[in-house]
Amino acid sequence: MAYSELVKNFNRVRDYMREFYVYGFKSRDEFTRKSARTYDDERRRLESWLGDYMRFCQTSEGKNVFISIDSRVTRHNPLYKAWKTKSFTDGDITLHFVLFDILSGPDISMTIGEITGKLDEYLSDFSEPRMFDESTVRKKLKEYISEGLIVSEKKGKTVYYRRSQGDKMPDPDVLDYFSEVLPCGVIGSFLLDKSDRYESHFAFKHHYITAAMDSEILCQIFGAIREKRSITLEMINRQKDRITESHVVPVKVMVSVQSGRQYLMAYTPGFRRINAFRTDNIVSVKVDEISEHFDEFQSKFDRMLPHMWGVSTQSRSGNRMEHVEFTVRYSDDEPHIPKRLEREKRCGTVEYPDSNTCRFSADVFDASEMIPWIRTFICRITEIHFSDKSHEKQFRDDLNAMYALYGLGGNE
Amino acid sequence: MIFSELYGAYYNTVAAILKEAVTHPVSDSELRKIIEKHAFGESIVTIPAAIKDERWQLLRADGTTPVKNIPSLPLSVIQKQWLKAVACDPRIKLFGDTGLDFPEVDPLFLPSDVIVFDRYSDGDNYTDEKYIANFRLILDAIKKRYPLCIETLNRKGHPVMSAIFPEYLEYSEKDDKFRLIGAGSRFGSTVNLGRIISCSPCSDPFEINLGKRNAPRPRSVKFELTDQRKALERVLLHFAHFEKTAKKTGDDTYSVTVYYDKEDETEMVIRVLSFGPMIKVTAPGHFVDLIKQRLSAQKSCGYLAPSD
Repeated sequence: MAYSELVKNFNRVRDYMREFYVYGFKSRDEFTRKSARTYDDERRRLESWLGDYMRFCQTSEGKNVFISIDSRVTRHNPLYKAWKTKSFTDGDITLHFVLFDILSGPDISMTIGEITGKLDEYLSDFSEPRMFDESTVRKKLKEYISEGLIVSEKKGKTVYYRRSQGDKMPDPDVLDYFSEVLPCGVIGSFLLDKSDRYESHFAFKHHYITAAMDSEILCQIFGAIREKRSITLEMINRQKDRITESHVVPVKVMVSVQSGRQYLMAYTPGFRRINAFRTDNIVSVKVDEISEHFDEFQSKFDRMLPHMWGVSTQSRSGNRMEHVEFTVRYSDDEPHIPKRLEREKRCGTVEYPDSNTCRFSADVFDASEMIPWIRTFICRITEIHFSDKSHEKQFRDDLNAMYALYGLGGNE
Repeated sequence: MIFSELYGAYYNTVAAILKEAVTHPVSDSELRKIIEKHAFGESIVTIPAAIKDERWQLLRADGTTPVKNIPSLPLSVIQKQWLKAVACDPRIKLFGDTGLDFPEVDPLFLPSDVIVFDRYSDGDNYTDEKYIANFRLILDAIKKRYPLCIETLNRKGHPVMSAIFPEYLEYSEKDDKFRLIGAGSRFGSTVNLGRIISCSPCSDPFEINLGKRNAPRPRSVKFELTDQRKALERVLLHFAHFEKTAKKTGDDTYSVTVYYDKEDETEMVIRVLSFGPMIKVTAPGHFVDLIKQRLSAQKSCGYLAPSD
């Protein structure tokens, strides 16, 4: 098939975008899953959509292509462009613009025959006018009805079609801000595209933009949560390059603003527990039947939340609950340290044994999730205890490895 | 469906072309400019050809169109649902009466459906009337380009007055705080909205000696990454919001360079530390020293006898 800038299937784009943006060190030869031609086509598409952000570097393995974006500088998520690349037929685009011009106001109501007649009039000036039969037009109208753009009304035995009532366009500042901070923000970006001459007044720091690629998946999950339905997930295991299917009841969506990851928290009947599913590993969502126990699972999750540091709901050791506590010291001119602990403690507790010492403690399902955060206090940790001694050993060993890495003596 | 041609760049481009064509014949150069503005890098090859060949029967050979009205679309169901979700967010109060009420649809999600689990807990108070009034005044000043006199509390808790030409608002999802960035006077050009005591338009802007915006101070840190315990993915995702480069240097080793601003250096140091021995900073020397200082200080804490 000839190369096109537009695509039919979003999942392939999603994979390549992720590889180029998050990783960015693979050469052409390392993209082994698809053919070289597929790689060339996808790279060319991304260059066309995101030209300003594409970077290249030559290595011994060949040329590496990657996407490099400072999301603090760019005002709008550039990855949203991928959602604006759906392919269509020549007939689709012609029919779309002429149809909405025929039904230019919500007061204009026509039958299928009248619309088809009008279409012929519109196109009669072209050298070889397109002919749209009634079934094609009816099919397109049906699509637009499901999108909420067209309304059908029956008068007697005849069906009339008209466009839906127009709504005032939302304030561009609202779209500008929320399209970057709320889930499925690409929908706000679609609306912002319609705003003429809009200048952005917001910038975003610590802004993870990869979640944009999971918008359609998230939309379906939200739909299922709102209707209390179970779903079937197709999950990819990237290391094994294998797809598995899970039948689950979605409960919540959890978002990390320190890694950009999004998780679906869902009850898995097979394991009789609530687990986390990374949304970027979800290939597809099929919405199933209403779950009779939905409220029960939500209550169960609410009870679990005070013991979740991140998204993990079970420890590696098999213990139901793990205890962590550590103590940090700070000087009189470092009031930001207790302030940091207070604002970052999540489900933990902070105590003050004296005016220069803080003690943090927490009882969580999985204490290993806390270790990266505890390391941010390196330089002032005076004591640390994990109920699971393997975590404590790991923490100490890692610290000693760090000493050794920087020539500070390791195990001394 | 989100992935639909209805929201695509090509449909938007054609709508922009027709918007002109309903009033006057569209020239080739005009066509090109519209495509460059609304579509993608290679669209300049495909869109004019599809129009000229009459595969898309929307523009006649003379640049006129059979379409009579400026193209427009009502809001789709998914757009209304998302806007209704926006209306449920507590931060919507910052923007005044937005009229986002669509009784015919349910919100796409509710705030209670989403949990941000690692956001700092001392974020700005979006329900505070004074904060809301300050936010709206600042946004207005950014749009209309007038200077503001702002009284804030400094780090020591003392009130200080400064004048600033506001340029934009910066929001951090991690901190859940807004900052005003502008061209400022003696106290700098960045103001935390949560620290504002009072804010008003400057009565005589010409009397105010405004400085320039703090210039960016670009820095970079280079480190060796060992891909154990899924460190590669964790590190690259964690630093994904910066400009960066990554190269494979061995079977499970990578060289990564991350570009940041000097004002975020302390934050970068602790973010690097959080990855433990999976990351070894190799350059610049002063960054290596910052890591070493922290590790040396940790050694002096007396904790950490070697494990068994």
